[in-house]
Amino acid sequence: MTSMLSIHDLHVTVGGKEILNGLSLEVGTGEVHAIMGPNGSGKSTLAYLLAGRPGYEVTAGTVRYEGRDLLTLAPEERARAGLFLGFQYPVEIPGVNNVYLLKAAVNAARQLRGLPEVDAFEFLGLVREKMKLMHMEDSFLSRGVNEGFSGGEKKRNEILQMLVLEPRLAILDETDSGLDIDALKVVAAGVNSQRSPQSSCVLVTHYQRLLEYVVPDFVHVLVRGRIAKSGDRTLALELERRGYDWVAGEAA
Amino acid sequence: MSTPLSARIVEEYASAVRAHASAPDGPRHAAIEALAAKGLPSSRDENWKYANLRSLEGQRFVPATQAPPANEAGASAPANLAPEIPGYSRYVFIDGVFAPQLSAALAATPARISSGAPRSPMRALGSDERFALLNQAFATDGAAIHVPAGAAGAEARAQVELVFVASAPAKAGASYPRIELRLDSGADLALIERHVSEGTEPSFVNSAVSVALERGAQLQHYRLQQLNARSTLFDTLSADLGERAVYRLHAINTGAQAARSTLALRLCGEGADLTLAVATLGERQQVQDTYAIVEHAAPDSRTTQTFRGIAAGRARVAFNGKIVVSRTARGTDTRQSLRGLLAGPEAEIDLRPQLEIYTDEVRCSHGATAGKLDEDMLFYLLSRGLTPDAAQRLLKWAFLEDVIAQMGLPPLRRQVEEHLAEHLRDHTLRELL
Repeated sequence: MTSMLSIHDLHVTVGGKEILNGLSLEVGTGEVHAIMGPNGSGKSTLAYLLAGRPGYEVTAGTVRYEGRDLLTLAPEERARAGLFLGFQYPVEIPGVNNVYLLKAAVNAARQLRGLPEVDAFEFLGLVREKMKLMHMEDSFLSRGVNEGFSGGEKKRNEILQMLVLEPRLAILDETDSGLDIDALKVVAAGVNSQRSPQSSCVLVTHYQRLLEYVVPDFVHVLVRGRIAKSGDRTLALELERRGYDWVAGEAA
Repeated sequence: MSTPLSARIVEEYASAVRAHASAPDGPRHAAIEALAAKGLPSSRDENWKYANLRSLEGQRFVPATQAPPANEAGASAPANLAPEIPGYSRYVFIDGVFAPQLSAALAATPARISSGAPRSPMRALGSDERFALLNQAFATDGAAIHVPAGAAGAEARAQVELVFVASAPAKAGASYPRIELRLDSGADLALIERHVSEGTEPSFVNSAVSVALERGAQLQHYRLQQLNARSTLFDTLSADLGERAVYRLHAINTGAQAARSTLALRLCGEGADLTLAVATLGERQQVQDTYAIVEHAAPDSRTTQTFRGIAAGRARVAFNGKIVVSRTARGTDTRQSLRGLLAGPEAEIDLRPQLEIYTDEVRCSHGATAGKLDEDMLFYLLSRGLTPDAAQRLLKWAFLEDVIAQMGLPPLRRQVEEHLAEHLRDHTLRELL
């Protein structure tokens, strides 16, 4: 196994308050990891920190992505290097067309690799194909980014962006929250279609429901800013049965 | 109240009359006398505190004396003038003087178009009319457009474009564009009004537009202010809307060093309907000021007002929007949305929504917000690999789209979008078009 993401003894504060408190995690290439945990355990902080959102201060520890020091990279550099964050609350940007954003994102990554810009016509064909997989209507193409989308549409749009950008490391922050069962299956199918021996995925989730459709290689429980327990997918089932208090008590 | 500046203007007027030994001209004299009595505004005037009035100090106010061109090719339109919009007859004025060799034949459309000295004075606007008086006193040529009633038929809508080119340096004299629009009952006109520069000289432009819409008349009015970065513009527009008249006014302001627009709009007839959509982009040290006063004087009239302004660099962008609902205007419906975007640490946005209501049974909503680019939107775009520069430009673009997207004339909208993309220095934005 080669390492995709290697987090070692990570301490992070937000507004002076320590949220991550000695977190360590290894994600190998081709693996899917689920990070579960109660509200406030630091799951979203971890996701945002990896994507480079401002406002998070690393006070100790290291994060290496494909052997590079991730923390020295700007958010757009991380994206261009193949890291993707699926937002828990995707942002509405009225006036910015969905397709334009997709194309700008793809071209930004291509520019880094010295490739020419995508052909507009071929690109549109590719997007339509992925849209079909995500059960999205054609009208999506002409709408503003997430503008007036329902919660489920926003989450499907995140996965669509992931499918078009083909990241090597996808971090999906509660992509399953707020979805009905049909939408959940569509989202899961999208995530599964992206699985490959070359790419890795970190699923941040509160419930194990998504994991019935996207089966993880590893499950970790995050409690009070550090990994309290790790296991295989049966750990998720056990959490479902016994709740988080059980792990929290064990970790204390 | 006379001011040193207005005294100097009166003096320039008198010497111009002496020089040309011209016959007495009643409306001009009346205007200069009224101006002498009122004086010019100062920044202490409530409605003028955001404008750059100091720009007036060095100006010469007599019209730039443009000698008639020696031959057909004598006067020229700017090389970068946008192409004509299909179906629209274009008329060009250079430094306020009609240029027939650059224009379509007069009266070639359902509208009756004539050029020449101003005919009728604009309606009285109280203290807001002082720059209109200046125009009245000095204007050389103007476009008078009259769309008669009963022009019904397949091509009922008249389509006209007026291009006002400023080329003379301010020290040589001023440019006085003037438009008089009269739409009879049920008439329909689409008008493009462009203000552009030829060359890089700092010009002084003082334009005046009067609009009279009779019952059921419809006017689509697109105003594009694209003067060069050293010029000064003072602009006064007054409009009266009759019963069920519809006026859609779209103004896109990107040009000039100092620009002030005074819009005085009166809904006089029952069911009159006004849309005012203004987008302003200020950069460098530009001062872009718009004052709009909308008076609802009749029942069941309606106004939708949208302003989007971006101030970058050290620019100041101001919009002062006053809506007055008089005692006689039951059932009035007004919506006002003013938004400003601060895109530079030294930039300034001034938004002033004002609402005065003197009757019951009205619906008036308004909102005004000014702020910086949304941090969450920025991070979302960065997380998709866009550079901070590209992300900021894209969000500025999106901000103005609220107004641009309302423009009902796609080929013109495209020209405007290309122009904005150029201003935002982003050719990749052209892909959006």
